[in-house]
Amino acid sequence: MRLRDAARVLRSKNAGPLTVTLDLMFETRENFERAVQSPALSAAALARAYRIPAEDVRVIPVPLALAIKVVLPRPIVAGSPGDTDVYGAQQHRPLMEIEL
Amino acid sequence: MTMLERLRARHDPKRPLVGMSASGQLGYGVIAPAFEAGVARKPDFIGADMGSVDPGPYYLGAGVMATGAERTKRDLRMLLLGARKLDVPMLLGTAGTGGASPHLDATLAMIREIAREEGLHFNLASIRADISSEAVIAAQRAGGLLPLGRIPVPTEEDIRASRIVGQMGTSGFVRALEMGADVVIAGRACDTGIFAAVPQLLGYPMGLALHMAKIIECCSLCCLPGGRDSILGHLTHDDFVLESMNPDRHATPLSVAAHVLYEQDDPFSVSEPEGKLLLRDAQYEAVDQHRTRCFGAQYEEAIKFRIKIEGAQRLGARAVMLAGSADPVVIEKIDEILRDVETMTRSLYPHPFQLYPRVYGRRGVPLFEGGIREAEEIFILVECVAATAEIAKGAMLSFKQYCLHHGFAGRLSTGGNLAFPITPPELDAGDAYRFSLYHLMDVDRPDDLFPITLEQV
Repeated sequence: MRLRDAARVLRSKNAGPLTVTLDLMFETRENFERAVQSPALSAAALARAYRIPAEDVRVIPVPLALAIKVVLPRPIVAGSPGDTDVYGAQQHRPLMEIEL
Repeated sequence: MTMLERLRARHDPKRPLVGMSASGQLGYGVIAPAFEAGVARKPDFIGADMGSVDPGPYYLGAGVMATGAERTKRDLRMLLLGARKLDVPMLLGTAGTGGASPHLDATLAMIREIAREEGLHFNLASIRADISSEAVIAAQRAGGLLPLGRIPVPTEEDIRASRIVGQMGTSGFVRALEMGADVVIAGRACDTGIFAAVPQLLGYPMGLALHMAKIIECCSLCCLPGGRDSILGHLTHDDFVLESMNPDRHATPLSVAAHVLYEQDDPFSVSEPEGKLLLRDAQYEAVDQHRTRCFGAQYEEAIKFRIKIEGAQRLGARAVMLAGSADPVVIEKIDEILRDVETMTRSLYPHPFQLYPRVYGRRGVPLFEGGIREAEEIFILVECVAATAEIAKGAMLSFKQYCLHHGFAGRLSTGGNLAFPITPPELDAGDAYRFSLYHLMDVDRPDDLFPITLEQV
């Protein structure tokens, strides 16, 4: 199953100018559990998808919200010259390709 | 009697304390039907957040608002009229987008104008949030400056060249109300401070008050479907209930729990200057289809005071160039073309400048390397930053022309490599800033950093 079909929300957003967070939200507990248990959403697998070091990725399941939060350091401080996404709102694309 | 004394005298402990969040981004347009519905419910206080670090360093650095003056004044008028009609506190945080003195002063000027136009009289408190570079340098020298992520270490020169604000917590609003304010306009402030101050003064548990504040500051964004309509929080000593003032936006246990993740890097703990909100045991329960009850959040008082500081530093003037291409050879070689044309421009143009190209269709948007597909056509945005607008524009002009006609191995498109969507394709783009500071700073007495002025309007 593709992550984009299992999820209700796949979004990204800055949490301050130095951090991007990805929120993966699910409609059903079944899909949430499947995602939490999937090796495709381990820190190491997400690091491969984003091509960053695994130690840069934090994965935090939030069962009450049927959600998984992923936290990544921004490679450039938001809004500095050369930044490509000041709000960090379009950094969820690599998640779209993931197979659970 | 002051506003606070009237609030205390009126407060019935058997009834929930009702806080209304009018807007999560005051100045872009408060949605009137929900706002009026909220006022009709006679909340005990009305608050709104007016700023953020999200739009980038420009607004803080340049000292200007991100919102338009006319709409901002209309929004302020709605809140002021609503709060004065009910005789309840109006609390505004992060005035004027950036929350530094120029933003605060522009907001206060609007408030005074509205009061004059409407014949309103009240006690107006303003709270400044500017932090001096000397205080930051002293903290850095003492090892009391902690970066909140990956950011170049600021030199003392960077710090001196930056406009700096600190985020006040609840205590600024509390002190302003204790001084007798009816209306509080604060510089840079934690969103939570706006909505947790009245509950704190009336003795409600801080865990619940801050949790409620954290959710309602975004208005109805915690609902399904999310939106920007005003929302009420009904606070008791055991729980709080969320109720959107748009009947079509429903606060559900899932939508509220999910909202708590928004823009947070830690879903279980939120650090504020005076303490930490702990959400590990927070629970959400439907009251009915429209409202959700929340309880269980805990609060831990800080042992050491730390405030979050933000600094924006001007880097220079900026010009940009806008162009497209649909030529597969140009697309394939675009990185090489841009590099060669930059070298050429530098040889023709002796002043220093920095170029930052983005190629849309070839990694124009991603911050990270993963998950990219190439497109049939590309769009090129080149940003040029230099000491003056003249130099930035001058370099951009030469770059544009040499990019259009650049010869490269395998070129077929000798008529021109680029498609310009507009003329001129090179534009002045104001000043470029960067965040030089996004740090925690150790402070002994946070109240001293956020001075309050009380005036009769």
